[in-house]
Amino acid sequence: MKLELGNFYVKEIVFGDETSYSNGLLTINKEEALDIVREDEHITEADLFIVKPGDNVRLVPVKEAIEPRVRVEGGPVFPGVTGELMQSGNGRTLALKDCSVLVVGKHWGGFQDGLIDMGGEGAKYTYYSQLKNIVLVADTDEEFEKREQQKKNKALRWAGMRLAEYIGSCVKDLEPEELETFELDPITKRSSEENDLPSVVLVLQPQSQMEELGYNDLIYGWDTNRMLPTFMHPNEVLDGAIISGSFMPCSSKWSTYDFQNFPMIKRLYEEHGKTLNFLGIIMSNLNVALEQKERAALFVAQMAKSLGADSAIVAEEGYGNPDADFIACIVALEDAGIKTVGLTNECTGRDGRSQPLVTLDPKADAIISCGDVSQLIELPPMETVLGELESLGRDGFAGGWAGDEILGPSVREDGSIIMENNSMFCGDQVVGWSTKTMKEF
Amino acid sequence: MKKAILYINQFFGQIGGEEEADFAPEIKEGLVGPAMELQKQLGEDIEITHTVICGDNYMGSNTEEAVNTIIGFLEDKEIDIFFAGPAFRAGRYGSACGHIGKAVKEKFDVPVISSMNEENPGVEMFREHIYIFKGGASAAAMRKDIKKMAEFGRRILKGDTLGSADEEGYYGRGIRRQVWLEPPITAADRVIDMLLKKIHGEPFQTELPIPDQDMVPIAEPIKDLSKAKIAIVTSGGIVPVDNPDRIQSASATRWGKYDISDTDRLEPKVFKTIHAGFDPAAANNDPNVIVPLDVMREFEREGKIGKVHDYFYSTVGTGTTEGEAARMAREIVVDLQDANVDGVILIST
Repeated sequence: MKLELGNFYVKEIVFGDETSYSNGLLTINKEEALDIVREDEHITEADLFIVKPGDNVRLVPVKEAIEPRVRVEGGPVFPGVTGELMQSGNGRTLALKDCSVLVVGKHWGGFQDGLIDMGGEGAKYTYYSQLKNIVLVADTDEEFEKREQQKKNKALRWAGMRLAEYIGSCVKDLEPEELETFELDPITKRSSEENDLPSVVLVLQPQSQMEELGYNDLIYGWDTNRMLPTFMHPNEVLDGAIISGSFMPCSSKWSTYDFQNFPMIKRLYEEHGKTLNFLGIIMSNLNVALEQKERAALFVAQMAKSLGADSAIVAEEGYGNPDADFIACIVALEDAGIKTVGLTNECTGRDGRSQPLVTLDPKADAIISCGDVSQLIELPPMETVLGELESLGRDGFAGGWAGDEILGPSVREDGSIIMENNSMFCGDQVVGWSTKTMKEF
Repeated sequence: MKKAILYINQFFGQIGGEEEADFAPEIKEGLVGPAMELQKQLGEDIEITHTVICGDNYMGSNTEEAVNTIIGFLEDKEIDIFFAGPAFRAGRYGSACGHIGKAVKEKFDVPVISSMNEENPGVEMFREHIYIFKGGASAAAMRKDIKKMAEFGRRILKGDTLGSADEEGYYGRGIRRQVWLEPPITAADRVIDMLLKKIHGEPFQTELPIPDQDMVPIAEPIKDLSKAKIAIVTSGGIVPVDNPDRIQSASATRWGKYDISDTDRLEPKVFKTIHAGFDPAAANNDPNVIVPLDVMREFEREGKIGKVHDYFYSTVGTGTTEGEAARMAREIVVDLQDANVDGVILIST
């Protein structure tokens, strides 16, 4: 499988007459773009904004981030989701880099939604403050979940994907400024140089905890709750085979943009043929029943062993209940003689003294930790809020609250906020960007 | 000018050696013994106003009285920071520094800094409560140990950004917090580095050391269930619909206790779940699927169990830290014991 990602580095985004890209300038015809958003009759209100790093803008409730892209040979950017099924990971896909489409609820948020500060001291808590962003702020008529804490956010998330495809399509006929090639020979057809290196599989545990369909990550449109671990080519993940869901407390979440750019996968590609033989990805999940966790761990260990993996990296999209899958999977791999490193975040509580994962095992002796969901964050008011600031306290955010006897409400009258890191949009960057770690004090 | 107070034992307080170890607490204005060196190291912005002296044996055998007396001395004093020791490898002295340090921290909420050798039993007893710097084995290390305590104290009072326990040189207090690596190294880079070391059998340092497991043994079986009083406790968030105790839907720190003495089953619209970690439809439709009062009443009528306890207990388990859960459990257990409950059905979701 050979994937070419053709990159265009966006330096500035403006609204204008024609949606187009030229020399770093991305121009968006706002009305045309909003027409794409409104193709779904469930969208009742929609507007677009442009934000850049350093802007004094607070975005909340943020639901999704997507990189604008287009397939040169045609077909949907997200097979099985925004169009027909097709194999992803092959051929050439063009991407607008250093920017993302952010989807923000005009009013209503929930457990799974997050917050982004583009400037000020809050900016360091998310990756997305470093990007130029096209912000879709919209509302829907999805009355059934308007006041539910857990929201599928279907109309908004799909609108974001359509918008990302629409914006991405403006570079379809252009020559990319940079070409990244991702190619792995089939496992049994590799050179002796590659085969002599220690082999590694990347085990991903995307979010699949909800029994009801519509909340979990989708792989080629298929709900991850309804799958058993399977073997995938890393190019598939980099090329739109998987989209983010709408369930996990936000700092632990992997957005669709995160999947499209998965730094851990890219890093393994860099090592492939030099220090490691990158076999591919075992795509597992995080179902809630104990038997499902054990079954998934069995499948993962068997597959890794049959593939001849000397080592493995396990990464979980979540914390709490999913820690059981994470540890079970590491233990199963270690028991199979596969040297394993885990990649996760922690929840140590307001006072930092709690057990960092809900289950632990001495066999999990090599873990990279990307942050603490329960860390309290206090931020001053922001000049501009896109979305609705009240949602952070009102709508049951994982890291926000209406009132607390010690801390008061998350959203104060002057617009300043206090929250848990839990609700920083994809803040713990377990996909590999995180420069945070955990230390004892 | 910031104010500091130092605690030392009878020996360093120049009262006497072992024969004076029963010396009752005294507070002296100004500097005694090691206080002079500490004052020198603290510089001009922090003044040690008093030195507290107590015999090690006195503190050891009359701990509560000694602590209360000393807290009494301190109540009308200005304190910005409190020092104790250094205690080197002296076990009783270390323990005394810990006891008084912990009490001062709890009472006045000021930073408390001590220093002990790693073999001092006071380290394990009190490292969670106060800053204990890694100190020398004997008084030969006095100057070095005091320097570390003073420097750290100065930085706390200046409001400097403080490093981790390892970076600063004190014994970790069991508090894990996120920090940004400087220079920044991405998680992906750290994974590759750790993986290659692990593969090649080289030493590496995990970022999440696995703490000792706190395993709870399974309880002994109840001998005669037909005479037993059974309580229902759940982390499934079942509460009266108005959630009178305002238990949080996630990351709970509160629990509630609800009277079911006149209730045969939990009715929908009277009880509901406020748990945010699962689909609430089934539980709201029939709260007995989480708090199985209906079945328990049947067992009670059939004589399978003696009695259902008059209250059930509820909190929310999702995102709730192990520390908060353990605290809530300790609080609930007191109540259960007071009511002579013999057994508990603990229902998770």
